[in-house]
Amino acid sequence: MANSKVLSGLGIGLAATLALSGCSGAADDGTVTLQMVESLTNPARTELLETLIDEFEQENAGIEVELISPPTDQADQKIQQMLQSGTGVDVLEVRDLTVGPFSTNGWLADMGPEFEGWKGWDALTDNAKNVATAGGKTYFIPYGFYGISLFYRTDLVEEAGFDGAPASWEDLLEQASAIQDPEANTYGYAFRGGTNGYSNAALVIEAYVADDLDLENAYRLKNGDSMFSAPEALDAMDLYLDLFEQASPPSSVAWGYPEMVEGFSNGSTAFLLQDPEVIAAVEQSTAITGEQWTTAPILVGPSGTAIQPLATAGWGVAEASEHQAESAKLIQFLSEGDASIRFTEGNSLVPILNGGDEAEFYKTGAWESYLTMNENPETYITAVQPRGVAWWTEWADKADSELQQVLIGQLTTKELLASWDAYWTEKWAAE
Amino acid sequence: MLPAAIFVGVFIYYPMLAGSQMAFRHWNLSNLTDTSWIGLQNFATIFADPSFGVILGNSVLWVVASIVPQLVIGFALALWLRRRFRFRGLYQALIFFPWAISGFLIGILFRWMFNGEFGVVNDLLMKTGLIDQGIPWLAQPDTAMFAVIIANIWYGVTFFAIMILAALQSVPDELFEAAALDGAGKVRTLFQITIPYISTTLALTVLLRVIWIFNFPDIIWAMTGGGPANQTHIITTWMITFTQKGDYGVASALGLIVVGLLLVFSAFYLMALRGKKEASS
Amino acid sequence: MIDTETTPARITRIGFLGLWLVITIFPLYWIIVTSFKAPGDIFSYPLQYWPTEFSFENYVQLFEKADFGTYVVNSLVVSTAAATTATLISLLSAYVLARFEFRTKTAILMAFLVTQMIPAFIALGPLYLLMVDLGLVDDRFGLILVYVAVCIPFCTIMLRGFFANVPDALEEAAMIDGCSRLGALFRVIVPVMKPGIVAAFIFNFVNCWNELFLSVTLMNKDENKTIPTALNGFITSFNIDWGSMSAAAVLTILPTMILFAFASRYIVQGLTAGAVKG
Repeated sequence: MANSKVLSGLGIGLAATLALSGCSGAADDGTVTLQMVESLTNPARTELLETLIDEFEQENAGIEVELISPPTDQADQKIQQMLQSGTGVDVLEVRDLTVGPFSTNGWLADMGPEFEGWKGWDALTDNAKNVATAGGKTYFIPYGFYGISLFYRTDLVEEAGFDGAPASWEDLLEQASAIQDPEANTYGYAFRGGTNGYSNAALVIEAYVADDLDLENAYRLKNGDSMFSAPEALDAMDLYLDLFEQASPPSSVAWGYPEMVEGFSNGSTAFLLQDPEVIAAVEQSTAITGEQWTTAPILVGPSGTAIQPLATAGWGVAEASEHQAESAKLIQFLSEGDASIRFTEGNSLVPILNGGDEAEFYKTGAWESYLTMNENPETYITAVQPRGVAWWTEWADKADSELQQVLIGQLTTKELLASWDAYWTEKWAAE
Repeated sequence: MLPAAIFVGVFIYYPMLAGSQMAFRHWNLSNLTDTSWIGLQNFATIFADPSFGVILGNSVLWVVASIVPQLVIGFALALWLRRRFRFRGLYQALIFFPWAISGFLIGILFRWMFNGEFGVVNDLLMKTGLIDQGIPWLAQPDTAMFAVIIANIWYGVTFFAIMILAALQSVPDELFEAAALDGAGKVRTLFQITIPYISTTLALTVLLRVIWIFNFPDIIWAMTGGGPANQTHIITTWMITFTQKGDYGVASALGLIVVGLLLVFSAFYLMALRGKKEASS
Repeated sequence: MIDTETTPARITRIGFLGLWLVITIFPLYWIIVTSFKAPGDIFSYPLQYWPTEFSFENYVQLFEKADFGTYVVNSLVVSTAAATTATLISLLSAYVLARFEFRTKTAILMAFLVTQMIPAFIALGPLYLLMVDLGLVDDRFGLILVYVAVCIPFCTIMLRGFFANVPDALEEAAMIDGCSRLGALFRVIVPVMKPGIVAAFIFNFVNCWNELFLSVTLMNKDENKTIPTALNGFITSFNIDWGSMSAAAVLTILPTMILFAFASRYIVQGLTAGAVKG
């Protein structure tokens, strides 16, 4: 009978499956296996990381590392679940966004003791050391920094009759407006209205209030008020709204990272503010050639200065890990010498090692603007963004949504700034 | 029966009940050292949010505007697919394919097709001369809602088509023949014989789809993330934003609200169905 | 079948079916074309409706850089096992729920219906802890168990609906002929319900095949990942790898399409009138 055949087939299939999916046992020869989880996963980076891990394993017999690479969209949630359960993770990627909550919850080990006497420490840049010792504890060692620069189309700028890249936000508005030509599917600025759009809004405001800014907390003025309360902030947002209305693609209200990069590398927009990671993506473009674009330093405000918002991430150890010493060893390996240099170059990151940016790699082509910014710290001021606060993700969500309200005309720039000012003032007061 | 109950009990009800207590606690990932019971405060937060009304309205619109075309097109496909024609197998395999893709992937795919500047939808509309300038679909609340619903209709028709087609197979041909002998028209046959005969399947399919679509954030999340300015959020996408903020208390409370609303709806729906059945018999 | 068809009705039918085919197929076409474009051509403007040159680069990359073959095997194993088990268990439960009267019946049905209303993520955290305790994290068997549980409620409800369409008289006749109840179920009812069962199996299979969140949560090692996890891996924080993703999507859709093509024969097979009349 046909059905009994089907049934027995199913039975065999089931049995085979159960047999196939048996557990893998743990080795019992004293080998320590570290579970390492990454968060900002991308295939090329994972490959590089695996190479580095192989080298580490060769140098350290008796330690094996198992790299877990969840899709980046789901990674932080998975890491949280692992940390909460106290199993399955020894080394993890900690971001400036997650270090606050993770350490508050007691999920991260203070590596201070393990790192005492580590010879690699002195080689770290001041920025890296600051991050690694924030709050007196060492919850993670940064592997690099994400800085911002202005990607621009040299040919379009020239055709529109300008000598070179815009230096200030006002220049940008002028040039982008001149280039904007919707009929030809050419637009000025790759505006970020979608996810994390608030970060670029903060960038323009910071440039306008740079001189009064508290460098330890870039959202605060020296007088203790939030930067959104400054009168210059309104000028900044008005200009930013003009930039959207006069010089950006209309659909950029909804543009996030992929659309922005895409809009620039397919040749339809002339300006893009982005991380150096994007250099590699744009280099692959066939729509624009290497002669048609380069990068420039970020844009300054009326007083001629700008704030470089360095974002960072690095490696930390789980408090629940039973192999903290071995974990620290792995992190040290990744944070010094050749391994660190290869990781920062391979991922287009601003290096964590002193003199790292003197390598040939950072002096060529699109990287030049980073050098310029590094050499002029008075103009391009590095300030700490308050990304570690517990309410940062809540803020990001609120700010994105309200920025979009401004873009679609439901809110004025003035109302927006009042709301943002009230939000931060209240949060700081409750702290 | 027992194995089914055990599976569902252990792997669904236990985690769900364990999870839903978060709704009555302060449960924020930013600080899990304090997870005290706070009663209904999370629910109060939700009801006090100015967006809640819009989001509730969107959820209803999302379900109704998706399900009606899905049902109508799916039904039509099923009826017409009963008739044999050449390449019917191939045709079916092809039109069933949307169901084979995950909602998330569909979301990303449609997000690019509806892109205002280099999306293929605008390109085609301009080539055919229907519009002469690209529409920034996902940048305006109305068009964005329209776009996500289109994507959802495209995706969900298959389910109705398959379910109805499967149900139609159990309708004996004699019934149609008898109807034809009585001189009943096509439309009358449809409403007086076909639909009543498969009504159980039909009613259940509709109920399940209402529940699923209400609970289906994938497409919206991938296409608009609820934007612009929260205007395309439904309850479940809004819930995702709370999990991203680490506020699992409020997110769980929203989850319970979803379950509550759907329970009430199902109760009314099933009662209405029963009432109708009794009236007709 | 109704054999008389007027010309306008025929035109409407063919027009409608044709139009829907175009609408359905276009995104599929777009994915396939994209998957064969050379990496640089994907973003060229004006849009290319046909690749200037066919490139298999994206497919080669899938197997060279990512271990795509392993993911396919995992997905096949997990989805087949889970869908099969769930369909079998549900078939028996649905039968019990459709044919017997007992006190907890309504309660069970409602309990099953409620599972469909729960946003999955509420249960995600506790489920992870449960699986850690059971030692089933990063284990295909564990994922199969969870998928079976996820599939059962819907599948049972659906099959019960199909049972309701089958007259009692059918199995009563079989039992009079000397079949046991179980025998009657499998020899008489199952063949009649084949379209419904096949449809149920397909839905289970596709649900498991596309499931992302449980898989990401419960699986760690690369060798245990399923296809949706891998697909999502092409979305990185700074870009979407459209070439690889389209190629992967095509390969993902293929097995389901084959399954649909194969199964749709059963779904539309049609029953001989006699079987239903009993």
